[in-house]
Amino acid sequence: MERWNHIINTALLGTAKKPADAQGLSGPLRQAADTILGNASLDREEQFLHLAAVTYNYRQSGTQPVTAAVPPMTVCTPETKACCPPAAIRVLQPVLETDSIQLLQLWLEYCTKANLLLPPAQLPVMLDKAWRNKSLRVLTAAAGGHRAAWLGQFNPDWNFSRVADTPEERWLNGATAQRVEALKEIRTTDPVIALQWLQQTWPKESATVKTELLGVLEEIPATTDLEWLESLLSEKSKQVKETVMRILKKLPGSSLHEQYWQVLAGAIQLQYDGHVVVALPELNDDPVFQSGIEKLSNNKQVSDETHILCQLISLVHPSRWETHFGRSAAEIMTMFLQQEPLKPFAPALVQAIAWFGDQERAVTFMQQSETFYIDILPMLPPVQQQELSEKFFDEYPEAIIKYAGNHPAEWSVALCTKILRYAATQPYTYNQLFMNNVIRQIPVAIAASLDDIVPSESYHVGYWNNIKVHLGKLLQAKSQLPGAFKKAEGRKAKSPRLQNKTNNYQLTSKAPKS
Amino acid sequence: MNLSDEQVLAMAPDESSRKSGKDLANPAKWVSKGVGDNALWGECQGSGSKPYQTQIDTGNMAFKCSCPSRKFPCKHGLGLLLLYSRQTTLFTEQTPPPWVSEWLAKRAEREEKKAVQASTPEKQPDTAAQAKRQQARQQKVSDGTAELLRWIKDLVRNGIMDLPEKDPSFFENMIRRMVDAQSPGLAAMMRELADISYFHEGWQTVFMNQLLRIYLVIQGYQHLSQLPENLQQDIRSSVGFSQSQEELKEQTGISDTWQVLGKQTSEEDRLVVERYWLHGIHSKRNALILQFFVRGQSTIANPLAPGTTIQAELVYYPSAAPLRAIIKQQMTVPSDHTFNGFTGWEEVVAEQTAISAVWPVYNDQVYTIATLTPIWHQEQWWLQDSQQQLMPVKKGFAHIWKLLALSGGAPLHMAVTGRETQYEPIGVWHEQEYKIL
Repeated sequence: MERWNHIINTALLGTAKKPADAQGLSGPLRQAADTILGNASLDREEQFLHLAAVTYNYRQSGTQPVTAAVPPMTVCTPETKACCPPAAIRVLQPVLETDSIQLLQLWLEYCTKANLLLPPAQLPVMLDKAWRNKSLRVLTAAAGGHRAAWLGQFNPDWNFSRVADTPEERWLNGATAQRVEALKEIRTTDPVIALQWLQQTWPKESATVKTELLGVLEEIPATTDLEWLESLLSEKSKQVKETVMRILKKLPGSSLHEQYWQVLAGAIQLQYDGHVVVALPELNDDPVFQSGIEKLSNNKQVSDETHILCQLISLVHPSRWETHFGRSAAEIMTMFLQQEPLKPFAPALVQAIAWFGDQERAVTFMQQSETFYIDILPMLPPVQQQELSEKFFDEYPEAIIKYAGNHPAEWSVALCTKILRYAATQPYTYNQLFMNNVIRQIPVAIAASLDDIVPSESYHVGYWNNIKVHLGKLLQAKSQLPGAFKKAEGRKAKSPRLQNKTNNYQLTSKAPKS
Repeated sequence: MNLSDEQVLAMAPDESSRKSGKDLANPAKWVSKGVGDNALWGECQGSGSKPYQTQIDTGNMAFKCSCPSRKFPCKHGLGLLLLYSRQTTLFTEQTPPPWVSEWLAKRAEREEKKAVQASTPEKQPDTAAQAKRQQARQQKVSDGTAELLRWIKDLVRNGIMDLPEKDPSFFENMIRRMVDAQSPGLAAMMRELADISYFHEGWQTVFMNQLLRIYLVIQGYQHLSQLPENLQQDIRSSVGFSQSQEELKEQTGISDTWQVLGKQTSEEDRLVVERYWLHGIHSKRNALILQFFVRGQSTIANPLAPGTTIQAELVYYPSAAPLRAIIKQQMTVPSDHTFNGFTGWEEVVAEQTAISAVWPVYNDQVYTIATLTPIWHQEQWWLQDSQQQLMPVKKGFAHIWKLLALSGGAPLHMAVTGRETQYEPIGVWHEQEYKIL
């Protein structure tokens, strides 16, 4: 290396300033240098180029591998589960090509349900996908097996790939997505323990993680969390405080809920003749306004008073009206739908039913009402949801598509046809990306009637056709999923020893001819 | 024929064909599709009224399509092959339609004609005129090399310190001069010199390596008559004299079962160069097949699929260290995943010493090496052999994660390309199968 550096130094300065010399050379190189430098027929530049060329070839001829004491790399723990069958991998390729995260999620669900693993060659692609899409992380970690966790040691972006078998282990050692999943799991079986877990680690968590973990409490609010949640209102982070406030609004026993109800109980009274009187008392600096209730209406048709009451009604549990008026749920609904002073507040009552996820009262409300309220749709039984969605689709197409897209249940063919017919009229909104995001809900059976769905405007035909081709691909991949994994059933897990078997190979100690 | 997605897509001439091929691997796009003993065919509904007729000779991996694309294989060929590899059961037709059987018959006829032509003596060329042309070219090349040598000596006299500040025309003028001097090989070597990143640490060594390679070729050309015959051929081809492929094909080659270990593609001034690395299972010899085409106009009718195996007769270009070869005839055969190779880096460097002794300006080679483990050491990836000796993985190697995933920390038999201290894995033997990276 020293010899070569000497050549480089001479080249940098130029032979005009520093002629070639035999400095630092020994052995055969020295002999060659002496011959070259002693050759008077060569000028300075040629002497240098000759010597440099000899040194170059001497260096490349004597290249040696590095011998270094490198600590041995940890070898990945052998897998105990089998890899996906080739049929499943063949389906994975088109799934990846569609760029549909939902379809990929579906593939991973099939894979994990069949207790199978992704083949090693697919892991980098899948881990990268999961790094970009949080929703894939837990499933990818499960389908990635020990090898994904092993790869995660070398790539910090993939640290979510750690395999953890118990919720406790996931909670203590997992990445945020895995911790959220573990907390959700425990929350459904033992809410008290889940709360204890949160309380124990709370001071160590960052504001972003705190918000994500609180999301679990928000999904299934429990009165046992009340005291702790109210203590969090003094948190520094605005993001955390807003989430806490939102959860407290969902808990009927919270002090915030009580404040709202006190205002409502005073404002809406039932008279002895069965009629209701609505009169909002003066609320200039009432604490309710500090919790996000707006004082002024942004609609000329709605007075400020009505606007305030609507907001409060939508955030108070509907059961309160039953005790307040001493009537049944059905009677309360009828009062809101029929009594003039209460009629403007019927939509707010629907919002309250939806806000508290009260399925029983949702069904009762729909029995009393002749009007369809989209907000109530998620609270109804699945069959009724589909029926109503189909029935009222033409009135509320966008709201129904939005709701149906967010709801995991597969659409009926009739509803799907209506949605796609509407999508064909607005292909720039309901484009390939939209199809990617709702492919879980689109039934495979719709593929047969895709050609019957045509846009009303001729200028949409080309664009819609592209969407249709893309949807066709999505449906094709989706239809292949069950079969691809079904073939794997009954297959035994490959022995790890078999995976490392190299008995067919021949090693030649002699170099092959080139 | 059982190709994986990766193998099919590796045949694509460019990225856009790869993407379009994937889009066409959709049964809805194909009006008909079938498979026979030696052929795969399908009719693809394009934008025209008549569907495109796409056909593949699976025996020789040749493509034909009625679409107007000048790429080989075109997106329809790739799409059809991809669809077949994914959903073989969809190919229900078994009797080739007339347009397929006619094409297959024509191909067979052409092969016969070629064989007949090969056996009949060709018209004698005008040797006098040929010698005159040859002489004129040699004079041009001699003048060109003399000028290049002067340029190199000037550079060396003044020092290379201020090269990073030089104007691009400093190199461009000499590259153009080499083209004028009918020395495209030297022009390409000069282009590599111009393309060095002069703002990266260590550019001085990279520059001197390349400059000295050029110098060695010039010296070799100026003393050509004193060199052994095979080395003369190496020098001539480095300068840019081409070797007639027809003449080569007249020679007897090496018939063997060749594993297509990998494909590397590079592009320069719209000229795409495809390097296919082959290994002969019985002859234990490695070979490099080069294919050139202008971007977007691939006309290679018989692309090789990396990871597959072919039964072929290869003729090596004359060289002191033969590596580049042409395929005289080929046939796709079921994949053979046998591993033959070196036991470690010591054998690799010994082989390189032997090559550099006879041809110091040698290029990247392909090696199959047993039990290499990827290792992270001193902030870079290395390949460690069973003797705990290390060689660095080429910087920026794109498939390091796939390699690691397949290895899981355990050693793998590997195919690598490179020379001296830079190696790039192109495939591994994993679970008894050769897999391209």
